[in-house]
Amino acid sequence: MKLNYLFPHGYKKIGLMILIPSMIVGLIVVIYELEPEVFDLNVPAIFVNDFFGDNEFMGMTNNNILNEICGVLLIISLILVAFSKEKQEDELINKIRLDSLVWATYLNYGILLFAMIFVYEISFLWVMIFNMFTILLFFIIRFNWQVMKLNKELSYEE
Amino acid sequence: MKNSIKVERAKKNITQAELAKMAKVSRQTINAMELGKYVPSTVLALRLASIFEVEVKDIFILEDNDWE
Repeated sequence: MKLNYLFPHGYKKIGLMILIPSMIVGLIVVIYELEPEVFDLNVPAIFVNDFFGDNEFMGMTNNNILNEICGVLLIISLILVAFSKEKQEDELINKIRLDSLVWATYLNYGILLFAMIFVYEISFLWVMIFNMFTILLFFIIRFNWQVMKLNKELSYEE
Repeated sequence: MKNSIKVERAKKNITQAELAKMAKVSRQTINAMELGKYVPSTVLALRLASIFEVEVKDIFILEDNDWE
């Protein structure tokens, strides 16, 4: 019953400190298609697909790793913010956490379903890029909003 | 489901915050239960009964719509 797969409360702040800059940088990188040469590296890859050559299994490829760095930082920080314990992680918070996760999953896949039917080609690729992160983002927004609502309801005792 | 947490609390003369500390939950949880917005787990119900020194059924009362 004590096991709940959550990080200690303090990790939420660390997550937020990484999340905000990596989200800003990530958006700039993806919108302006930034690929500074410093980040051009030869990296190991499981699948190497050449435009004109053969596909190779396990090899090296040249890649600009800036967007990978942003993606990794974003996912790690989103997970830290989403799944760190609250100051007092009791059963009501647990219930709100579960409800919010279900809600975020429905919303995320609802949007994806809609986009799958009505959005095509490069535009759909954009949807896929954002969809990698939105489920956690929706969860964080909904969960914290519900907790805030709960705090507001705290009636002052007579 | 109805509950008489507020009444029991008044009898014992303890605040929401004090009860929360004793039951090892947040004040928000105590408040949500008093407002009838949250039904506690069996463990928490038993903790509250133990704190108030009464039976669980003395605090929590089933209503007709709990059978629906």
